[in-house]
Order: sequence, then C-alpha cells, then structure tokens
Amino acid sequence: MTRGLRAIGVGVVTVMFVTGCGAARALLGIHEAPKANAASAPLTVDQATRILTRELTAAFRGETMTGAVSRAALEAAYTGEGLRAQSARVKLASVQPAVAHSSLLAPQRTELLAVSRGFGFPRFIIAQTVAVAGSLPILYLLTCPDAATPYRIAMSAQMVPPATVKPFDPLSRGSSLVNDGTGLVVAPLGLLKAYAASMAFPAKSAISPSFAADSFSGQVRDGAASVAKAVAAQATFSQVHKVVTNSAYAVRQAGGDALVFGVIERTDFFAVKPGQIVNTAANKAFVLLTGRKTVSKAAAITTLELLVFAVPRSTGPTTLVAAREQVVAGSGS
Amino acid sequence: MAGVGIVLTVLGAWILVRLGPSGEATFSATSQAPGVIVISSDVLNSVDVAVRVTATRHDGGAVWLAVAPSTDARAVLATSAVSTISDVRYPAGALDLRASGAGALTDISTADVWRRSANGAGSARLLVDQGRGPETVVVTSGDATALRDVTMTLTWADRTWFFEALAAAMIGAVIAAFALNDLWQGRVVADQGDAVGISPPQVTK
Repeated sequence: MTRGLRAIGVGVVTVMFVTGCGAARALLGIHEAPKANAASAPLTVDQATRILTRELTAAFRGETMTGAVSRAALEAAYTGEGLRAQSARVKLASVQPAVAHSSLLAPQRTELLAVSRGFGFPRFIIAQTVAVAGSLPILYLLTCPDAATPYRIAMSAQMVPPATVKPFDPLSRGSSLVNDGTGLVVAPLGLLKAYAASMAFPAKSAISPSFAADSFSGQVRDGAASVAKAVAAQATFSQVHKVVTNSAYAVRQAGGDALVFGVIERTDFFAVKPGQIVNTAANKAFVLLTGRKTVSKAAAITTLELLVFAVPRSTGPTTLVAAREQVVAGSGS
Repeated sequence: MAGVGIVLTVLGAWILVRLGPSGEATFSATSQAPGVIVISSDVLNSVDVAVRVTATRHDGGAVWLAVAPSTDARAVLATSAVSTISDVRYPAGALDLRASGAGALTDISTADVWRRSANGAGSARLLVDQGRGPETVVVTSGDATALRDVTMTLTWADRTWFFEALAAAMIGAVIAAFALNDLWQGRVVADQGDAVGISPPQVTK
C-alpha cells in the first residue's frame, strides 16, 4: 500500500470514527423529548371509553340503589346541575315514573362522539346512548374542571325528533370549545338567554328569535298557560327562566357548526290570593320536596331545563337537538 | 488504523454482550427520599422504543404507577415531594435522581389524566409505548402515603441495537485485520530489503 493510500485510509477511518461518535445518538434514535401537540386530544379513545363506561355504570348504580350507596354513586357519576337534577330524580322516583323509564335501565349502545382538544381545562367528553328497545337517543356531556378531578356527567338530555347530531372532528384530534361563540351565528350564552326569555310567562314583549320553533318550548309555554288558568281562582301564576351560570358548553363540529349545551332554571311562582288556602296534596312531588300539603301565601317550584342546541356557523336558525326537564326544589308558605 | 479497528471490535463486542440478542438496555436506581417518583419525558421519550418501567418496594407495600401527559402530571403533583429520574448513565446502567418539592401528596390515582396504569404488591410493571409524548411516569403507593426505598428499573429493548453492535464489531475486526495485514506485509518487505542489501534512500542536505 502506498503512503497516499495509507493516508486516505487513515483519514476515512478517522472521519468515520469521529462522525460515528456524533452519529451514535442518531443511530440509536436518541432525541429530545417531543413538544406537546396542542392540536391533539388529551385522551385516547380507550381512556375516554373507560371513563364513559365508569360514569354510566355509576349513574346506573345511583338510580338502582338506595340511601347512602345511591348518593355516593350519584356523586361519582354526576357534577353540577347534572347531579342536582339526577339527585332530585332519584328522590322523586316514588312519585314520578321517570326512573322506571330511565334509559340507563335498558340495554343500550354507547357511542363516543367527541373529546376535547389540547391540554387546557375544562375538558369534556360528548357521548350518545341509544337504547336497543328503540327509545330516543340521549346525549351526555361529561366535564373535567382540572387535572386532579375526574370527569363527571354535567348533563344529559333526550334527543328531540327529528334532530340529528352532525359529526365532530376525529377523536384523535379532539374538538375545540367555542364558549365565546367565535365563528358562530350566535354566542352560546346569548342563545340561552334568548331561549329563556322566550319561554317567560306571562310572555314578554316580542324577542327576535334566533332559534327555530321546537316542541319543548311549545310544551313549556302551553303548560304554563294551562296552570295559570287552572289556579286562576286561588292564585296568580308566573314563570321565570334563568340561565344557570357557567353551564354553557359549545363544542365545534367538523363542518364549523357547534353543539351547545346549557342549563336553564325555571321557577314557577304561585302568589296565593288573600283568604285562599290551596290544597297541594295532588302535587306529590311538591309535597315530597316541601312537606306541605297546603299553602296560603305563596309557593314556588324549581325545575332544571337541560338543553342542547345545534348552532350554525354563519346563517340559519339555531335548532333544539335535545331537552330534558327535572323538578329539583320547591317551597311554600 | 489497526488500533481503531481493535477498539471498534472490542467496543462492539462488549456492547453486544451487554445488550444480548434482544438488544436490551437496563438502568436502575434506588430512591430513598420520601415522596413520589417521577420519570420525566426527557428520559421516557428520548428513544422511539417502548420502555418497560418496574418499581419495586423493599418493604413489600403497594405500588401504583401510571403515565400521563407531562403537563397533566405536573399539574396533579403540584408542589408534592418528588424524586425525578432526569437522566440515564450508560454504560454504568444508573439513573440520575433529583429530589424537589416538599408538599404532602394527595391520592392522585382517581384523576383521569392517566393514559395507562399498573399496580401491585411489592412490585409493579408498566410498558410505556411511544408516540404520545411528552409524557411522564408517576410512581406512588396508590394513596397519599409517601414512598421510600424504592428501586426503579427502566428497560429499553431494540434488536436493531444488537445488530448495530454486531456490525460495529465486525467492521472493526475487518479494519483491524486489513491494517495488521498491511503492517505485516510492510515488515516482510522491509526485512527482504535488508536481506538483499537495499538501504533506505539517504537524505542529503
């Protein structure tokens, strides 16, 4: 071997050795830890499914057990207004047939619709259950306020025919919260306030509706009118609807529209006319909640209205997708 | 050049023996500091290979370990006392532990941030796959009790590492063989030159 070839050989080996040391990391695949991807879901589909199953199981136990076990199960399953509504539902089970018809008690198919995007809070899961027997699907909103708190059912509502839910972004990417109404035809809170105002009784001055007419609000208005008429001889009836603070959750769908969840608190007021004593025994829920079978001055019944709307991104009316109401409190004197 | 070849051969062979045919690299350390043990994403997600995490309590108590996005794990642990595994030492097979925080721990196992979890009495093992980083592994007793005297073992296994070491050893052997042969040939030629009276050229000034 000539000196020149020898020098080239030594050079090549030296370069290989030096670069080899530097390339060892690359060769072994050693790299910096990746950065968090803000456009991904914080939950895997498996995680979300596990959470959903756990919460629906706890909800089922809450409805089927009694006493402290039921209470503990309900607290493990629900949060906020959802817990308030469901606790009242279980409490009033003996006088209201609702529990007997609970979809949780029937075989059902559960579908995970959406999970939140990014690593901020609050986070959410949206799911739908469809009873095998063919009753209407139920939409669930589960929320998680911070990293240390488990997901809980914030609300559930039965879908209103013929409503459908448009698809969300893929579960691996998650869906964005748009509680501020960015890119929507109406802000979620504004929508809920308008909807609440539209159901007031006596009816207030004309409000320009940003939503399509639906059977739920029609039933509420008709119900209020018939109650007012029925008690007219003994009491004056009025009804107030108020949006529950921080109950609005708007989730962006794949096409740019949004599904908006919200809770409205309805209060039925009865101002008993002077000298009248109203027998309330027929209203078993009122008796169970207040312990009173007669009232001589005033009475109030509080009902939660759990609502879900489809809100378009540009033009068109907002549509009620799902609704449920539950008496939660009462008072009388 | 022969030296480089020999070094490459010895190094490759040594790594070959240490990794074994499965290409397994194991690192361990024992944490004595009371609190939670955390494996940071700098260690956990530094290689695109699944890592097997094993926690062993010497007192035989309950062990719970789980993996979560790093931001969530940090939020859950807040100011709790933690021992963080922040680096690995090769070929020593050791792990660097760094203690921080002093706050008491709450029961974090009920949080929904954990992508995967495992538990056991005395020991528990969790296989953490890659692709969802940055993630952090947290090891606790499963409740608010602080851990103490726990041996953590991290194992990465990749068969390509074995073959890379094998290739390095073989290339080194080939280089060494050629270089030694070249040296040998050069000496033989020099000896033959001496035998026939050929003297090296003289340098004149």
